Amino acid sequence: MNTPAVRLGGAALLVILGICAGAWFHSSTQSVRRYSGVRVTAGQASAPNPSDMADLPSPGKIPDRLPEFSLADRSGKATSIKSFDGKSLIINFWATWCAPCRKEIPLLQALHTEWGGRGVSVVGVAVDYRDKVLDFAERYKIAYPLLMGEQDALDAAAGFGVETPVFPFTVFTDGRGDVVALFIGELHRPQAELILSKVQALNKGEIELAAARHAIAEGLQALNSAS
Amino acid sequence: MAANDSDGFARFKAHRSKFFAAAQYLCKSRRLRYSARMRKPTLALLAACLTLLVGLSGSAVAKPWWMRGVESNETDFLPPDVAFRPSAGIDGNQVRVRWVIADGYYLYRSRMSIKAESPDLVVGTPEFPTGTLKVDPYLGNQEIYTQQVEAKATYSRFDGGAHPMEIKVTYQGCADAGLCYPPITRVLNTEHAPPAAAASPHHWEGVAILVGGIAFLLAGLMLRKGRNLELPTA
Repeated sequence: MNTPAVRLGGAALLVILGICAGAWFHSSTQSVRRYSGVRVTAGQASAPNPSDMADLPSPGKIPDRLPEFSLADRSGKATSIKSFDGKSLIINFWATWCAPCRKEIPLLQALHTEWGGRGVSVVGVAVDYRDKVLDFAERYKIAYPLLMGEQDALDAAAGFGVETPVFPFTVFTDGRGDVVALFIGELHRPQAELILSKVQALNKGEIELAAARHAIAEGLQALNSAS
Repeated sequence: MAANDSDGFARFKAHRSKFFAAAQYLCKSRRLRYSARMRKPTLALLAACLTLLVGLSGSAVAKPWWMRGVESNETDFLPPDVAFRPSAGIDGNQVRVRWVIADGYYLYRSRMSIKAESPDLVVGTPEFPTGTLKVDPYLGNQEIYTQQVEAKATYSRFDGGAHPMEIKVTYQGCADAGLCYPPITRVLNTEHAPPAAAASPHHWEGVAILVGGIAFLLAGLMLRKGRNLELPTA
C-alpha cells in the first residue's frame, strides 16, 4: 500500500493544508486588530466575542449610564442630553459628509414617529458645521431633535467610549438612562426593532439590564449571520 | 583566518557539488523509475500546485474563497490607520504620496489634500489619477479611490535642507459596510518613506505563499523518504 501514489496524495494534501494554514494564520492575527462594531455596554454585558474584545487596542469602556453632555440645538441654544430625561433615547451620531449616515435618516424619522407614543425619542447629534446641518435638516425635513457641534460633538462621542470616531453610531438608552446598546455603522430596521423591543421590555420591568444586553448581542449576531 | 575562510569555501563547494549530484540523481531516477502510469498523477499534482500559486499571487483584487466573510462581516471595522495607509517619497522635483487602501474601503478624491508642513517648503497643487464614480444623491457623483492611489505634486525647498522635509496630508474615507471615518490628517516625513511592500494590504498572500512553500518542501521530503538513495560517487 505504501506506494508513491499514496505519498503523492499526502504531499498534495500537505501543500493545500499549508496554504490554508498560512491564510488562516494571517486572518486570525488581523482579526485581533479589528474593532467589533456592534457592542453592548461593558461590565457584565455579554459582547458578541468577549475573548476578541479583550485584545482590542483602543476602544474605551462604554459607559453603563448615559453620560452628560451639552451641545447647541437648531436655534443655537446649549441643550443638555439630560433635558430628555425620562425618555428612552436613540442617540444617533452622524454628519452630512457621511453617506451611510444620510442613508439611515429616513429610518430614524420613521422610528421617531412609530415609537414616539411609547416614550422613545430619536436625538440626532451632528458632528459637522452648523450651516451644513441646518441646510440638510431642512432638505430632509428632520422632525426629531438635533444637537450639533464640531470638537465638542466629537468629545461627546468619546464619552460613549468611541475614541476612534466612526460614523454613524447609535446609542440606545432605556427610560432610566441606562445605556442598553451601542450600534456602530449604518442602522437597519431589523436591528433597530430588536434593540427597541428589549428597551421596551426593560421599561416594563420584564427583563434585567444584563439579560437585555445579552439578548441583544445574541440577536444582532443571529441577524448578522442571517444576512 | 584566511586559511579558515578558504577551507570553508572548499567545504561549501564540496557540499554544493554533492547537492547538484543528488538533484541530478533524483531527476534521473525519477525518469527511470516512474512508469508512464505514474507520470500522470505527478504532472497533475505539479499543475495543481502551480495553479494554486498563480491563483494566490494573481488574486490581488478578489479574495479567495477561504478569506471571504472575514471582511464582509458588517459589524467589524478596521482602525483608520489600518484601513488607509499613506506614505510619501521624493522623486526628482516631485513629492509622491501613496495611500494603500484596505479591501472594502474607499477614499473621496474631493477630500484629499497635500500641503507643506516643514518651514520654507512649497508644495504645488497635487495631481491625482482618475478615480471611479460613486453615485451620491446628496453630494452629486463622487470620485473615489479603492485599493491604492498615488498623487504627485511639485515642490521647492528654500531651507537648504535645514529641516526634515515633512508634508501634511488630509483624507477622508468610508467602508462599504456602511460607516465613515472623519477627516484624518497625518504628517509624513518624505525621507523615511516605508517600503511599498510593507504597506501592501495583501501581505496575507506573502504569509500564505511562505507557509505553502514550507509545506511544499516538507512534501518533497516526504516523497523522498523511504527511497533508498545512494549518491553517485564522483
